[in-house]
Amino acid sequence: MADSPETRKASSASFDEESYLRFNPDVRAAVAAGHFASGRDHFERYGKAEGRQTKKLSNQLRDRVIATGNLDAPRPRPKNWACSIDSVMISPAGGIFFTGWVDDYLEILDSIDLYFGEWAISFSGAGIARTRRPDVEAARGLAPRHSYGFWGFTAAGRTLPSGPCSVVIRLRSGTEASLMIVAEFLSDLELRTTILHQIETANYFGPPAFEAAHSFGPAIGAQITAFNKILAAHAIKTPYAERFGDVKPHYKGSIIVCLHGNLDAIFVQQALFSQQPDIQDFEFIYVCQNPEQAESLLNEARHSAQIYGLDQTIILLGANAGLSAARNLAAQYANSDRLLFVSPAILPYDQNFIVQHTQVLENAPPEQTALFSVPLFYDDGSLMHGGIYFELDMMPRFETGNMAETILLRPEHYGRGAAPDTAIFLRPRPVPAISGAFISAHRAWFEKLGGFSTDYVLGGYEDADFCLKSLGQGKPAWLHGAKLFHLEGAAKPGAAGTINRWLFTKTWGEIVQKDLLGPAPKNPVFR
Amino acid sequence: MNILILSLYHPELVRGGSQQIAYELFESLRGQENLNVTLLSAADSNAAALFKSGARITGFDNRPGEFLFLNDDYDYTWQKSSDPLLTEAYVEFLNLLKPDIIHFHHFIRFGVDFLTLTRKTLPRAKIILTCHEFLTICAAEGHMQRLNDGSLCTRPSAVRCHQCLPEKSPEHFFARRLWMQSHLSNVDVFTTPSQFMIDIFAKAGLPREKFHHIGNGLKPRAPKHQETPRPRNHFGFFGQMVDAKGLHILLDAVTILRAGNFENFKVEINGANLNFASPARRSRIETFLAAEAAREVQNVTVNGAYHPEDLASRMARIDWCVVPSIWRESFGLVISEAWTYGRPVIAANAGGPAERIRDNIDGLLFPLGDSRALADTIKRACTEPGLWDKLTAGITQPPDHNAMAEGFFELYRK
Repeated sequence: MADSPETRKASSASFDEESYLRFNPDVRAAVAAGHFASGRDHFERYGKAEGRQTKKLSNQLRDRVIATGNLDAPRPRPKNWACSIDSVMISPAGGIFFTGWVDDYLEILDSIDLYFGEWAISFSGAGIARTRRPDVEAARGLAPRHSYGFWGFTAAGRTLPSGPCSVVIRLRSGTEASLMIVAEFLSDLELRTTILHQIETANYFGPPAFEAAHSFGPAIGAQITAFNKILAAHAIKTPYAERFGDVKPHYKGSIIVCLHGNLDAIFVQQALFSQQPDIQDFEFIYVCQNPEQAESLLNEARHSAQIYGLDQTIILLGANAGLSAARNLAAQYANSDRLLFVSPAILPYDQNFIVQHTQVLENAPPEQTALFSVPLFYDDGSLMHGGIYFELDMMPRFETGNMAETILLRPEHYGRGAAPDTAIFLRPRPVPAISGAFISAHRAWFEKLGGFSTDYVLGGYEDADFCLKSLGQGKPAWLHGAKLFHLEGAAKPGAAGTINRWLFTKTWGEIVQKDLLGPAPKNPVFR
Repeated sequence: MNILILSLYHPELVRGGSQQIAYELFESLRGQENLNVTLLSAADSNAAALFKSGARITGFDNRPGEFLFLNDDYDYTWQKSSDPLLTEAYVEFLNLLKPDIIHFHHFIRFGVDFLTLTRKTLPRAKIILTCHEFLTICAAEGHMQRLNDGSLCTRPSAVRCHQCLPEKSPEHFFARRLWMQSHLSNVDVFTTPSQFMIDIFAKAGLPREKFHHIGNGLKPRAPKHQETPRPRNHFGFFGQMVDAKGLHILLDAVTILRAGNFENFKVEINGANLNFASPARRSRIETFLAAEAAREVQNVTVNGAYHPEDLASRMARIDWCVVPSIWRESFGLVISEAWTYGRPVIAANAGGPAERIRDNIDGLLFPLGDSRALADTIKRACTEPGLWDKLTAGITQPPDHNAMAEGFFELYRK
C-alpha cells in the first residue's frame, strides 16, 4: 500500500527516535544487538508497514483519544469474524427478502448489499431486523449475548429478475465480506407466507411481540404492509360471484361472512339463522379466499339453499386478500343499506337476534346505529365481548446498551369471562371499539369511512382501526342489546397479529394515549 | 295413508339392527289395507355395484316399494351430505310420493339436515325419528360411553364431549348441539326402543313430550327346536366384535374362570367385524383367540358371521346367550332372538337389557364392564341346579314386528 503524502510527511518530519525506541522495546533490543542501525532504520524497513507507534503523547492533551493514523481506512477482517447469507428470495411484485447472520457484536452492521446482473440494492443496517440465532451461538461456542441473525424485506413495486446474487455484508468499521448465493423466485403469496413464518418463528432475547415490533419500526413494517396491500388489491381484482336463491332488489340487511378455510360455517350458520323470524328479509354474502375450496363451497351453497332457502351470494377469490379487502369487496355486492359483518364463528344466541337487531335500528338515534355491535358470549355461557377498550404495554430494550422502550396497544374486551347477566357490560353505550366478529354498519357510513383498512395483513386490528376512524369522524361505535355466541377458540394471533398490532400502535398510539386509554377513557364521549 | 320409511342401509346389503327393524316395519305395514308404504334405504360404497351412472335414487332388485338412496358422500362429523344433486333427487322423490308420514329409522347417510329439508318440502307431513342410539347428543358413535375413562355418560356437554374426542374443541361440540337441535326441531315424534333412552334425551335438552317408547319387534323365527336334557354350560356371544359389544369382557371372564380351575364350560362366538374394533381391543382379542386355538382343550370357539337363517342352529348349540356390552344397548335385538329360541340371557345391567331382563326371573344381570362378576355369573349358571330351567320358564316372548308396527301406526294416526 502506498503512503499518503500526510503519512510520509509525518513519518519523516516528526519521527522521534527516542519515542520510537521507548514505545517499541523489541526494536531497542534489536538495535542494541546490531540488527538495525537505528530505530529509524527499523521504522523505514518494517515499522511503518507494521503501524508501529512513533509519536510520544507526553505533550498531548490527557484523557482523550489521539488519532495517530487514518482511523477511517478499511480494515482487514478481525480475527474469527464471520457472517453468512442463508437465503435471498424475490417475488413477481418486487418483494425482496433475505436472511442470514453476522457477527457484529463488536463492530455494528452497516449495510447489506445485493448485486444482481441487472440491478442492485443496499439495505441499511439500521433497517434490518435482528434476531437471535441459537444455531450460530452454538457453532461459535461461548458467544456473547447478541442477536447474530438478520432478515430484511422491501417491496420494490416492480418485477425484478432473479438469479445469482453477490451479497456484500459490511460493518461500520469498513470490514466487509462478499458472498455468493442464487436467489429463489417465489410467488408473491409464498413470499408473504415466508415473511410471516419468519416473524412467527424468530427467536429473540426479549419478549417476541416487542422485539418484533422494534424490528418493524425503521423500515420493514411499512414495506410488509405495502407489499400486502399489493397482494390484497391483486386478489380482489377478478372475483367470481354466484347467486343462490332469489335476488330481491332490496334487503333489510346483508350478512357478510368471510370464511377462514373451514366451510362448516356456511351450513351451521344457515341452519341456525334460518330459524330466526324475518330472516327472509336478509341476504348472506360469503367470501372464500381459498380457490381450492371453490367446488366444495359452491356445493355447500347449493345444498344449503335447497334446505334453508336463504338468499346468498358466494364470492370466490383466487388468493387470500385478507379480511379487510374481502369484507370491503363483499360490501359492494350487498343489496341493502345495512351491512352485518359476521365471523364464521358467530351463531345466534336465541331466535330473537334478527328481531332485536331490527328493533335497535328502529328505536335508537341514527348516530348510535351507524356502527354497532352486541354482547358476544362464549360457548361456556360467559361473556366474551361487551365492547373494546385499550391498554398500553411497554417494554424496555437493553440490547444495544441504550435503554429505549417499545410500546404496543392492547385491545381488551369489556367483561371478558364475566357472568352472562353482568348488566354493567351489557348496557347500551358508546365504546372505544367493537369486535369485528360482529359489526353492524350503516352502508353509507361504512363507505364514507373508506371501509376497512387494507394496511392490516390478513386479519386483525382492522376492526378497532375502523372504530377509531369512525370516532374521529364524530360517531363512536356503540354496543346494543342483542346477543350472539362467538365460538372463539384458543387460536393464537400469529405473525399477522404481531405486525398488525405494531401497525395499529403506530397508527393510533398517540391518539389512544391522549384520552382513550383504559376501561374508563378520559374522552368525554365515553364519560 | 302414504308412508315413507327411511333406513340406514338395506338389511339385505348391510346387516344391522336399525335397518332390520326398519325393514320389518316396512314388511308389516305394506300388508295392511289403505297404506301405501315405501322404503328408501341408503346405500354407499358397500354396494358400489348397485350404483347407476347419473342416478341418485333407484329401485332395488325389482322389489315393489323399495328404493335405494345412492350416497357415497357423507360427513360423519356433522352427519350430513354436501352433494346438491342428492338433495334435489330427494326433494323430487318426496314431491312425487307426497307421503303423509316420513319415518326416519335413522338419518345416517341421508343427513340430519334432511329433517329440515323434509319439513321445508312437505310442511304438513308428519316427521318421525326413531333413535336407535344417542347419535343426536353424542358424537362418540352415539354410545354415551366416555372414551376417556370408559364410564357411562349421563350428561353430554361441550367440555365433556371434548374430553371424549379431544381432537375437537369444546366450541365444536357446542356448535354440534345447536346444529342437531335446529334440525331435530322439525321432528314431530321421536321414538326409542327402550324407555331409559327418553330420560337421557330429556336430560340433554330434547323435549320429553315428543318422545314415545316403542320396542323393537321381530318377525317370528323358525320354531324352537326340541330340547334334550344336558348340562347347561354352553354360552354364546352374538353380535359384532366391536368394542362396544364387550367381547373382551367375556374373554376376560373365561381367563378368570380358568385361573380358578373352572373349565367345564364352552363359549361360542358368533359374529364378525373385528376389523372395526379399536386396534388395542382387536389385538387383545386376536391374541386371546390365537392362544386358545393352541390349547389342547378349548373353551372358546369362533363360529364367524351368521345370517338370520343360521340363528336356529347356532342357538341350539348354546344354553345361555351372553350380552356383555359395555355401553347401554338401546334395545338388544339379540335378547329377543335368544328368547325366541328359549335361551335365557346373561347381560350387563344397563340400558335396554337391564330394562328388559328380569334378573333371576328370565335372565341374569351382572355389573356392566365387570369381567369378574361375569365369571361368577357364568359359574353360577353352570353349577346351580335348576337355574336354567327356572329362567327359561320365566321367558315371555317379546312383541313381534306386527305389534311394533301397530305401535308406530298409532303414532302415524295421531
